Amino acid sequence: MGIINRAIKNISKRKIRALLVIVALSISLSIMVSIPAGLMANQKSTNSMAENLSSTITDTSESINQALNQIDVYMSSRYAGFGFNYGDTPPSPQSGDRIIGGNNGNNNDGNPGRYGGFGEGNIPGQFGGINDGATPMNQSLYMDIAEISGVAATVAELEVSQGSKNQTTSMMGQTFTTQITDYTIIGVELKSEFTSNSNYNSLPTNIVNGRNLQADDTGVVLLSQNNSAFFEAGIGDIITILDHEFAIIGIYQPTTALEELVLYMNLSDAQHITENAGYITTLKVYTTSSDSVDFVVAKIRELHSELTVTTGQQRLNQLETLQSTYSDVLENTQSSLAATQATAIQEIIVVVAATSLIVLFVMLYTVRERTKEIGTLKAIGFSNRAVMGQFLLEGLCLSTIAGIIGIVIAIFAAPTFSALLLPSVSSTLGMNAMVAGGTRVSMASVSISVELALFAFGASMLLGVVGTLYPAWRAAKIRPAEAMRYE
Amino acid sequence: MNNNVLEIENLSRTYMLGKQSINALINLNMHVSKGEFIAIMGPSGSGKSTLLNVIGCIDKPTSGKICLDDIDVTNTPESKLYKIRRNKMGFVFQSFNLLSYLSARENVELPMEGKIKDKTERRKKASELLRLVGLLDRENHRPQKLSQGEQQRVAIARALANDPAIILADEPTGNLDSKNKQEIIKLLANLNLTRGTTIIMVTHDIQVANNTERVLLLKDGNIIKEKEGLHLAKKQNMCPHCKGSIKIYDETCPICNKKLYEIEEFFTI
Ligand SMILES: Nc1ncnc2c1ncn2[C@@H]1O[C@H](COP(=O)(O)OP(=O)(O)O)[C@@H](O)[C@H]1O
Ligand SMILES: [Mg+2]
Repeated sequence: MGIINRAIKNISKRKIRALLVIVALSISLSIMVSIPAGLMANQKSTNSMAENLSSTITDTSESINQALNQIDVYMSSRYAGFGFNYGDTPPSPQSGDRIIGGNNGNNNDGNPGRYGGFGEGNIPGQFGGINDGATPMNQSLYMDIAEISGVAATVAELEVSQGSKNQTTSMMGQTFTTQITDYTIIGVELKSEFTSNSNYNSLPTNIVNGRNLQADDTGVVLLSQNNSAFFEAGIGDIITILDHEFAIIGIYQPTTALEELVLYMNLSDAQHITENAGYITTLKVYTTSSDSVDFVVAKIRELHSELTVTTGQQRLNQLETLQSTYSDVLENTQSSLAATQATAIQEIIVVVAATSLIVLFVMLYTVRERTKEIGTLKAIGFSNRAVMGQFLLEGLCLSTIAGIIGIVIAIFAAPTFSALLLPSVSSTLGMNAMVAGGTRVSMASVSISVELALFAFGASMLLGVVGTLYPAWRAAKIRPAEAMRYE
Repeated sequence: MNNNVLEIENLSRTYMLGKQSINALINLNMHVSKGEFIAIMGPSGSGKSTLLNVIGCIDKPTSGKICLDDIDVTNTPESKLYKIRRNKMGFVFQSFNLLSYLSARENVELPMEGKIKDKTERRKKASELLRLVGLLDRENHRPQKLSQGEQQRVAIARALANDPAIILADEPTGNLDSKNKQEIIKLLANLNLTRGTTIIMVTHDIQVANNTERVLLLKDGNIIKEKEGLHLAKKQNMCPHCKGSIKIYDETCPICNKKLYEIEEFFTI
């Protein structure tokens, strides 16, 4: 027996009321925790976006600089942008009626087309890695490009993305259905002069297991580490791609996020399994030196006006434009984050005030109801302090229980609460991530850290005590003669 | 040093209701010696409860002096009064005032909480007191499970918790049927006889009052009459008329057949 025992008995005596208080308190508390959790997650996402923007730009410019003698030739004009990977599950668009559809821009060859972006005429709301304009072209029509003087080599490629699952994403009140790319096949023309010369960087260089593709390799694939995880297969294993079996010859480490889904195989294998015999999506033209790039470009345009031609220099220029767009995007995101922070503080103040008021009124009511009991306690020798302590403890007990429940609710509902209460950040982030497509923006999940949980627990106890202070003081002031009053 | 546990001199208590003042007690003088069993009677509104509250230190006199065990408590600040209530007073209320969510024993333990630190000691003492009032077998029952008479016995055990100098009971039998009324008055008389507890009891009931030692009649805030009760004689189980053997609460003497309550006229004012 004692003060704690009495507090618990008193609370359990008025179960419905206790339950109401606990429900109200715990919901307020969970909202209170969700807001900072949401802020933290948004901050994290913003940071990751900033980080990835800069690393993508660095990586890309590096690879472009290494390949200033490389010219990309493809069909149709495409918007040169960067694909956007949404979190850990990069969506890719439905590719419509063509097998050759968007790719997620996962090639480090610096080809802007490859990087996707917003393709022309794509379905509104689709985002990321859209390369809808990639038109397959008949390889045999372009054999003359290799004959242009100043051309050292040409490498033909066919790129096809494969997805099995649809993903529905909600953003800014719109629902987007996107197909998640499981992997992107890039078939590369495996010529011996190309595979043995590191200047022609069409294949990944960072092999971590097995070996790279070599001239005349067939029936084999080079997987990224991510692919390897996706297929749950390693070196020497046989995997099935579009109903055809391939042996895994090597595993490479992707250098950019964009590259993670790409598996490489012989061009003719790719053409065969995707039923695109004779067709390619890109022709890479390597000049003997960077000085002859301009001449070769002019010659290609003269021979094939229907083709789009980009040079390393053009890609660098585009990259610079993108860079400035990115810094705008970052600034935009950060200022929206700051604005949200201000809103969040206001919301927390409102919640704290509401919570204290709930406790205050319930405890005031309880004190009134128990006037006679309090009078009796004082008449039989309880001090003002003891009476006050009794009520403070009851408030504390209620808020402690509510605190625990609130944290549990928050663990599950924090993403929902923070999305409801901090709408601007998630949408700004989403929008900016879209504009800054091509970077991997991990939308950090809203989660309750141990520190945050402990903080919330402390806050709830404090609220319980603060809300009970005045009622407890009122209780202490009750005159013991009230106990004499007969009802 | 004298034998008085309570000394009241020129005590007045005036309530202010807005601009109107109500004199509940006027220049009241009263002495109670240790071990006395006193009844206070009087019409409604005569100031009985006010007097009891002032004695019990839950109300302050407007003027006058009040001494408990030779200590002048008239000017003791509220911050210290709770200790006097706890250590020197035992309250018994008309409506029992037990805490419904606590067991009988826990109710009895309540006043000891600030005084006896050791839990088991408190527990032991509470059980002992419940045995004294004949309710040891009910110690784990909540008040709602007990009859009204039993509840009042628990309240009396609670009043005894800190071995008070005075037990103050405001109409302790006011809510009870005649059987329970007799039990309670017997219990109080026994406590007074066996433990020497000083008891001041407000009552409307002549039979109850007659079983005390001294009956005070209060009217308009003052004691206007005083009479001996039968309690002294009953202490010796002896008829005050024929000295024959009687039992407590006998209405007439079984030997001389004389009425043991003869003070009706005293109260018909
Ligand atoms: N708290 C109070 N405020 C104002 N008047 C009071 C208060 N308590 C008692 N009185 C008045 O004082 C007088 C005595 O009351 P009380 O001591 O309760 O009488 P009793 O107990 O004999 O019926 C009554 O006239 C009553 O109305
Ligand atoms: Mg009264």
